[in-house]
Amino acid sequence: MQRLSLPWLIVLGVIGLGLALLPYQFETSTYVVQMFMQAVTYAIAVLGMVVVLGYTGQINLAQAAFFGFGAYGVALGTVSGDINFWISLGLGVGAATIAGLALGMTTIRLGGHYLAMITISFQQIFDLVLTNWIEVTHGPDGIAGIPRPSLFGYELEDDRAYLLFCAIVLYLLMFAVWWLPNTRLGRAMRSVRENQLAAEVVGVHTLRTKVIAFALSALLGAIGGGLYAGGFAYISPDNFNFMRSVEFLTATLLGGAQSPFGGVIGTVLIVQMPEWLKHLPESLSFIKDVYLAVYGLGVILIMVFLSEGIWGLIKSIRAKFVKPIARTDTTGVKPLDLELQGADAPPLLQVQGLQKFFGGLKAVDGIDIDIQRGTVHALIGPNGSGKTTSLNVVSGIYKPTGGKVVLDGEDVSQLQPHQRAGRGVGRTFQNIRLFASLSALENVMVGAQRDNNDVPDGNRGLRERAMSALDFVGMADRAHVIVRNLPYGHQRLVEIARVLAGRPKLLLLDEPAAGLNQTEKGEFVELLKRLRGHGLTIFIIDHDMGLVEKVSDRITVLNFGRKIAEGSPSEVLRNPDVIAAYLGTAGKVN
Amino acid sequence: MRTFTAIAAVVIGAAVHLTAHAQDTIKIGLVNEATGPNAEAGVYTHNGAKLALEEINAAGGVLGKKLELKLEDNQSTNPGTVLAFSKLFGEKGIVATIGPIRSTQVQAASPTIKKAGIPTMIGGTDPSLTKVKNRWLFRGRPSDSYSSKVIADFGVNTLKKQKWAIVHSTDAFGAGGMAALTAALKEHGITPVLVQGYTNNSQDFTPVVLAIKKSGADIIGSYMTNSPDVGIFAKQLRQLGINAEWVGSPSVVTDTAMKLAGPALNGVYGIADFTPDASDESKGYSKKYRETYKQLDPDVYSSWAYDALKILALAINTAKSTDPEAIRKAVVGIKGYKGVEGTYTFDDNGDGLRGYNVVKNDAGKVSFIKHIDFKE
Amino acid sequence: MQILFDNLQVLFQGLALGSIYALVALGFVLIIRATNVVNFAQGDFAMLGAYGMVLFFTTLAWPYWLAFGAALVAMAIFGVLFNYGVYYPLRHRSFLPVLISTLGASIFLQNTVLAVFGPQPKPLEKMLNTDGINIGGIFLDSQYLMILIVTVALVAFTYLFFEHTLLGKKLQATSQDKDMARLLGIPVALMISITFVYSAVLGGVAGVLVGPILFVSIGMGSIIALKAFAATIIGGFGDVTGAIVGGLLLGVIESLAAYHISVPYKDAYAFLALFIFLLFRPQGIFGEKVSEKA
Repeated sequence: MQRLSLPWLIVLGVIGLGLALLPYQFETSTYVVQMFMQAVTYAIAVLGMVVVLGYTGQINLAQAAFFGFGAYGVALGTVSGDINFWISLGLGVGAATIAGLALGMTTIRLGGHYLAMITISFQQIFDLVLTNWIEVTHGPDGIAGIPRPSLFGYELEDDRAYLLFCAIVLYLLMFAVWWLPNTRLGRAMRSVRENQLAAEVVGVHTLRTKVIAFALSALLGAIGGGLYAGGFAYISPDNFNFMRSVEFLTATLLGGAQSPFGGVIGTVLIVQMPEWLKHLPESLSFIKDVYLAVYGLGVILIMVFLSEGIWGLIKSIRAKFVKPIARTDTTGVKPLDLELQGADAPPLLQVQGLQKFFGGLKAVDGIDIDIQRGTVHALIGPNGSGKTTSLNVVSGIYKPTGGKVVLDGEDVSQLQPHQRAGRGVGRTFQNIRLFASLSALENVMVGAQRDNNDVPDGNRGLRERAMSALDFVGMADRAHVIVRNLPYGHQRLVEIARVLAGRPKLLLLDEPAAGLNQTEKGEFVELLKRLRGHGLTIFIIDHDMGLVEKVSDRITVLNFGRKIAEGSPSEVLRNPDVIAAYLGTAGKVN
Repeated sequence: MRTFTAIAAVVIGAAVHLTAHAQDTIKIGLVNEATGPNAEAGVYTHNGAKLALEEINAAGGVLGKKLELKLEDNQSTNPGTVLAFSKLFGEKGIVATIGPIRSTQVQAASPTIKKAGIPTMIGGTDPSLTKVKNRWLFRGRPSDSYSSKVIADFGVNTLKKQKWAIVHSTDAFGAGGMAALTAALKEHGITPVLVQGYTNNSQDFTPVVLAIKKSGADIIGSYMTNSPDVGIFAKQLRQLGINAEWVGSPSVVTDTAMKLAGPALNGVYGIADFTPDASDESKGYSKKYRETYKQLDPDVYSSWAYDALKILALAINTAKSTDPEAIRKAVVGIKGYKGVEGTYTFDDNGDGLRGYNVVKNDAGKVSFIKHIDFKE
Repeated sequence: MQILFDNLQVLFQGLALGSIYALVALGFVLIIRATNVVNFAQGDFAMLGAYGMVLFFTTLAWPYWLAFGAALVAMAIFGVLFNYGVYYPLRHRSFLPVLISTLGASIFLQNTVLAVFGPQPKPLEKMLNTDGINIGGIFLDSQYLMILIVTVALVAFTYLFFEHTLLGKKLQATSQDKDMARLLGIPVALMISITFVYSAVLGGVAGVLVGPILFVSIGMGSIIALKAFAATIIGGFGDVTGAIVGGLLLGVIESLAAYHISVPYKDAYAFLALFIFLLFRPQGIFGEKVSEKA
């Protein structure tokens, strides 16, 4: 996310204001003013789509319903209820936000296709209620004679004044939406979009993030709808049906879902395109007949060739001329402080009689492990012995079928992964799970913003903490590189920095050396030794016996979901059962 | 940054209009459904208006000038209609407009029309349209309060039926028609034994048909919007053995509905504001329409626009002025003008027609039964 | 007694419409299993099949069964085109771009057909030459009967095909684990193409079956598809049996609720049923618990 300097902001502000004042400077017809009224109010709703779809990656095919909540709030409030415009708007926006919260809550278990279906269902039911509940909604006749508000005693009756007002609202909201990605919430949203599981494990309350995203989307949709109702004085259910939702979606995708500027460009194009077609010469007029077909084809083509929309295209052109920051200035980066545990206290983590069954498959069947503070404890075993399952239960991705996970004396067995992260459990994944389109720094900042992390408030503190973590793994000078563009070994280091930034009490490493070449492996062992030297408590799974032997204080061996051995590396590696388990046959060891 | 440049270009592009027309014609705007789901009706509307335009100009135009038609597409949507009207009103020299045939579109555009103060002929049949304190709307068709009166009158007085079931779509047209028909029956002292709504594009009317069966109705009055619904309902009605009379709003006697339903709609009565062989005027118009547009048959979409343009031309000539107030005065002063839809006598609300034709489906052919007119 | 008959009548209609939902839902599920993508244009497959019939039978006046065959062949070809135009270019992306791409395809297909055939809905001939039979006051429409029969036959065929033929097993293997299938030498891209073909043909059959009842119109597929998708979720996402049972169940719930509660909210019952399932049993009737793998 590029930052804009003050002169640019001033230039933007002047142009924006100039645009909004355009109707005052030139003699424009009502037609132009109304078309822009439509574009501006739709654009506000599309900003909601940017938040929920672009930032958070959740599909929403009910934005027209939220738009409708705002519009009907204003219409019913002012016309039927004779209430002040602003109060009516507030009621509509409030109702939409509650509906958005409810819709967001459904993501608790269901995402993806389910969410598409849920939002469509919501949209359809909304449409049916608008049409059929005639006593309240006036049914398909719609509501006419919606008044315009006054603001601080100034009547916004005039089209141009009202458009100016709507434009200013749009600018303010655009600014807010543009600002959002670099806040805690915005980063949480983007991490959910990039990799929900990783986000949850790193400490992001993913459900809350999604619910907030939906609520914000609903809120923006309803503001747009309310202003629309005031602008056009008449509304009816067919303004708020599924096709309108698809239109909002298309506008978002066409312009570029990940930027408010993109969303606004997309909206203007979608509103304007049919109007432009009217100016086609007679010989090309057949295009009008197939306009909607072309529109459908356009959606496919955007998805295939222009996945980040027009704004993405603009950004990629810009990237050709503006050199990205290759090396980040690392002067003044503070050394990383880690959460250290006194060695004499009781075990940091106690796994007691842990069981995890999948249907009839007993992946983990009653294991006990104590992890002492300040030690490196390795978990090994042949493929399918239950190592990764155990780690998943410890980090909260799976709930245990039986037994307990006790962290620092507290039973955390039923806690969500982000709650455990908030209590100091950090982990990495066997197949690296980074937030691919975020920079290394942003990835690590998400790790730093876990609950209960002792970091000064605000982005500055998070950034400092993240830079320290990156510096610790030797990646500070690559902080501004988008992680997708980093080599595999570096991605691994960023993932570890992400956990370290969260100042974990307990670090869980799931086959961290997998996929590293010999040099990288060597460097990695050094890193582990440094962490161990600092006294961090680490629980590690790996296949590489050499590595495990070098770094660990204690080893637990699993086979078929049960513990078969435990002890110091030298004891365990000489244990005949362990050797047998690894060779697959018992008793043939020389 | 580039965003704003792009938006600026768009704004300026839209603001600069292709205007500058010579002032030697009198311009009337036509808002029709040139694109979108109802595009076909839009073509017919334009056809009808074109026919009237040629006749008017052949007869010397208005106020000694040629009449010119300015088309504006409303994309078959409400917001599109508002935009189309405001675009027309933004152009110089539009003295009157002809609006859409759909009531909700008229509703949507009504504030814009009122603000502009330009006389506008509308085709929407929702009775309230001309009564919403907008003195610039004039209806070129009979309103639904007359369609329901005609249905009730024909059913009660001609067919002699008392036990009514009303079947209606829950959309604007159907719900409005249901309310009006209930009111009209009340004047005959009848309360319907069943009022049954359904949403458009219902796939199965069995529950509706069974409800009619249970109610024991001997006549059905219907306000249905879509032809497929009419077709499905008609088939299931006959399959489940109900032989009650059926008098419906115009949708039951459209070409499409009759094709879809086949014999199931035989013997059904419908009302129509335009019937090709209802009068000498409509016969003449139909002949001319078929000659001009070859394979097309004249229908209400074209006939009402034809009448509407003729009425506006007549009013401007009578007023001897293009001043909106003068045109308005001339339109409401029209009494006994014989159009192809019927005889227009405007009241101060702007309603010109007060009657419908009753037609019958005779094995797939529409035959004219009678014309029923009301004074009020 | 009359009430019982009326209920049976409603039940029969519900089952028949439910069969259509089930057929389209089956097409959904096959594509979901093969590609992990919900095809929003599935309903338009039915629409296209019906228009194919309008073209071959009504316009070109071919004999019924020849026209039927031609329509299905056309659908098969269309299935291949759909795969390569809408799914294949996006196969390595997440589900969202593909889902939106199928949504675009739906808009494209409906409006292309609109431009070619015009907006007027078209009637279509029934399969049999009789209107139906009346059994003790219950009228069984011949087309509804054919819908039930054909659905049962197709479901049986689908089962036999997938469980008892080599090609079917290869298709199953592909849908379960593409990488493994590739290692076993199964041409995965071809298998996915075949899935689209089969799904398009199923959709086409549904369209031809339902055309004489709902008539052939641009939007005929949309509402069926929504219900069919609801059926796949109610039955269990990606579960073949679930799609069939879900479809039938939905048809029956809808008809009975419309008859006993209120007609105008008919469409709402389907969505309401869906909501209830999503809240209390999101995995559907036959589905396994939804959980994400680490």
